[in-house]
Amino acid sequence: MATFLATYDFLLVSMVLAAALALTLYLPLMAGQLSVASPGFYALGGYTAAILSTKVFHHPAPGLYPVSLVLVEIVVAAVVSGVLGLAVGIPALRLRGIFLALATIAFVQILGVVALNLDVTGGAIGIFGIPQPFSSQMQYMWLAIPLLVVSMLFVARLEPTRAGRALVALREDELAAAAMGVNPTYHKVLAFTASAVLAGAVGAISAHFINTWNSRQGTFDTSVNLMAFVLVGGSRTFVGPVVGGLVLTALPEALRGIAGLGGLPTWFAEFLRDGRLIIFGVLIAVGTIFFPQGLITPALLRRLAGRRRPAAR
Amino acid sequence: MSDLLAVDDVTCSFGGVTAVSAVSFVVTRGELFGLIGPNGAGKTTLFNIVTGLTAPNTGHLRYRGEDITGLPPHRVAERGIARTFQNVRLFGELTALENVMIARHVRTRSGLISGVLGLAGSRREERDTHERAAALLALVGLADRAEERARNFAYGDQRRLEIARALALEPELLLLDEPAAGMNTGEKRALSELIRDVRARLGLTILLIEHHVPLVMDLCDRIAVLNFGQLIALGPPGEVQTHPAVVEAYLGDSV
Amino acid sequence: MSRTLLLQQVLNGLAIGSVYAIFALGYTLIFSVLRIINFTHGAIFTLGAYATYVLTGSQLGINGLLAGATLPIRLPFVLALLGGSVVAAICAVIVERLAFRPLRMVGADPLLTLVSSLGVAVALVNITQYLFGAEPYSYPDPLSRLPSAVNFGSASQPVLVRTVQVVIFGVSMVMLGLLSYLMNATRTGKALRAVAEDITTSSLLGIDTDRLILLTFVISGFLGGVTGTLIGLSVGIAGPYFGIAFGLKGLAVIVLGGLGDIPGAVVGGLVIGLAEAFVPSQYIAYREAVPFALLFIVLLARPQGLLGRAQVQKV
Repeated sequence: MATFLATYDFLLVSMVLAAALALTLYLPLMAGQLSVASPGFYALGGYTAAILSTKVFHHPAPGLYPVSLVLVEIVVAAVVSGVLGLAVGIPALRLRGIFLALATIAFVQILGVVALNLDVTGGAIGIFGIPQPFSSQMQYMWLAIPLLVVSMLFVARLEPTRAGRALVALREDELAAAAMGVNPTYHKVLAFTASAVLAGAVGAISAHFINTWNSRQGTFDTSVNLMAFVLVGGSRTFVGPVVGGLVLTALPEALRGIAGLGGLPTWFAEFLRDGRLIIFGVLIAVGTIFFPQGLITPALLRRLAGRRRPAAR
Repeated sequence: MSDLLAVDDVTCSFGGVTAVSAVSFVVTRGELFGLIGPNGAGKTTLFNIVTGLTAPNTGHLRYRGEDITGLPPHRVAERGIARTFQNVRLFGELTALENVMIARHVRTRSGLISGVLGLAGSRREERDTHERAAALLALVGLADRAEERARNFAYGDQRRLEIARALALEPELLLLDEPAAGMNTGEKRALSELIRDVRARLGLTILLIEHHVPLVMDLCDRIAVLNFGQLIALGPPGEVQTHPAVVEAYLGDSV
Repeated sequence: MSRTLLLQQVLNGLAIGSVYAIFALGYTLIFSVLRIINFTHGAIFTLGAYATYVLTGSQLGINGLLAGATLPIRLPFVLALLGGSVVAAICAVIVERLAFRPLRMVGADPLLTLVSSLGVAVALVNITQYLFGAEPYSYPDPLSRLPSAVNFGSASQPVLVRTVQVVIFGVSMVMLGLLSYLMNATRTGKALRAVAEDITTSSLLGIDTDRLILLTFVISGFLGGVTGTLIGLSVGIAGPYFGIAFGLKGLAVIVLGGLGDIPGAVVGGLVIGLAEAFVPSQYIAYREAVPFALLFIVLLARPQGLLGRAQVQKV
């Protein structure tokens, strides 16, 4: 067990962070909005933490970087992302459907170019040597798991409340929801901003976790990963994206392991591990046709729970 | 102020087609006001204008004396105007109860944070919302199906559910767009009763679009007739029934 | 700014722009008929470029599964171009059959189709990368016998545009003409526009919608292949991901011009090309952000684009 954890510590923490990031796609989706803007806020959060820890907070080396400062960075990253989320969301969320998706794609691309060219973000090289608050990678779970749990609790608590119902109504029928008194733009911006805050927090942790941060973090590829997590995992319940994030992050590595055991040629096994984007891309295409609501649906959860859908409290 | 809603010289065109043309009328408080006319006469468009889904090109709407022209739909709903839709627009994936609960939105206040944190005020409001929604379902006779998904309801029941949802807004003015469509005679009778009951019990003013003319003649205090976007007659049922312009517009229909 | 410099920048802009324009033509053609954004256009474009490369008998690089391989045949460039574009067209059809048609059959939301096309595009590009490696390739030069640049200025104040760029501009105009002719003046075009308007009714009226949609993808794929090869000729193939980069920029082009509008694709392309050319030199690093900034602004200010009609929402 200990060797397993030691070998796979990077993967396990990555899985938890991916699950949290998947929720950032889920939040706007609750209101029926497909926004792929979270990679941008993820990148922003990472840069915030990277810049703060390498250029602002001076800590005496050697020795571990204080965890309290990491927590500060997470909060700052979350706030910065939230503010940008509001600034971008208020105009952008008047857009519907494809137009919103395109606007969020544009947003991520613009941020990427800006990050590539500013001095403070280290330009093309990025920022490296980000200080470590822990002596082993596994200890990042102290940050990752609480973040995931808190976000899951937030979303779970959101669904049966007035605000959550408003979001779901918007997803079902925006026009009817508005006619019933739900302010569409306000609620869409709310979901979008919450999503940005979470993405920023994940980014901040990730920057320390990966030790370097550059414009290759939080790109179009990340959007594709997130879409795979949500589409395959399940888009109608918060459990879906979490499971999608956990499983799909582990999948390529797991496939490589299985292929190795089965005595398949190494190149095939390597392909399974390195071809994650090919696998995710195909899963997305297959998913839209065969299980557009994802594998984990509310119906499935009800059946697993063995009872009918409980009345809203 | 006895005039609840004033439609003042409203015109609306879409890409060359004039859907509503210089229509003016007034609905007084407590009235059951009917809106009839052949298909495409502009009735639903008029509803859309009143509820803010569409903006008129010219003209004004006054509700309780306030100019509400151009307000977005949720603001119109806030002010106490609720509606049902010609093609039922329920939240299909949600249960009947949830559909009605959503419409309590403007009458409740708990925000995102208090809801997520489960603060006392928010919990109280949740219970209240739940109870009121259940009561409204009982009013329209759907209490035993509160937990069923709205899309599984039969057409006639869906229409009743939509009415319950609209009532959850606690409106003063209720707009019903062809509520009897797809109902058989018995259901139509029950609906008539329901509308009368609701109006009396809740003190509502009701604006009703309907194709089934006997229903309209039976229920309404006054009727406005639209044809090709224009108001061609306005008055009590008896008067409208024999109005020459109306008879001509309805050639072929049983008036 | 001197007149020569201005002219040079305008011509640079048009050169860049016409590259975007031919890419966008195939892109917007699909939208004009099916009302979907087919992001795989970028991947098809990549496949076409690589197919042409292989067909010229050139050798593959050291990365990728097919490292060092060459095809036993060696075609002259123009034939390789045609061959590569045919390969691209075939791939487009396969994508249509496997990914888009099932969605169309169930009346899926265009948003779902966009998501699917994103997945397919990324998968295809990564497969290409897996096979061919990510290193740059360039074609054996077919234009070596022509002068390398055309001078639009004078001998003393030269305003140069590379010959290949002039060729590309010419191709974009020819393509625009052909497509416009097809859509507006032929029976097939009329049928295509009927399908765009209402696919169910068209089918009920006896129009073979399946065959027409197939035709649309064949044309779009072929165009994509031609575009990929021409761009590869002009700036070299930087790696399979240049298809994704174009796919993304192409979104800006077609939205700016007006989704589904064929002349709009060319107008959008030229406008963005000119905008990029006129970025002041101190901001040259941000040039790549220009198309996306324009996309964002257009979406907010005028989502129907320059040539599109405002869409009225039916309630």
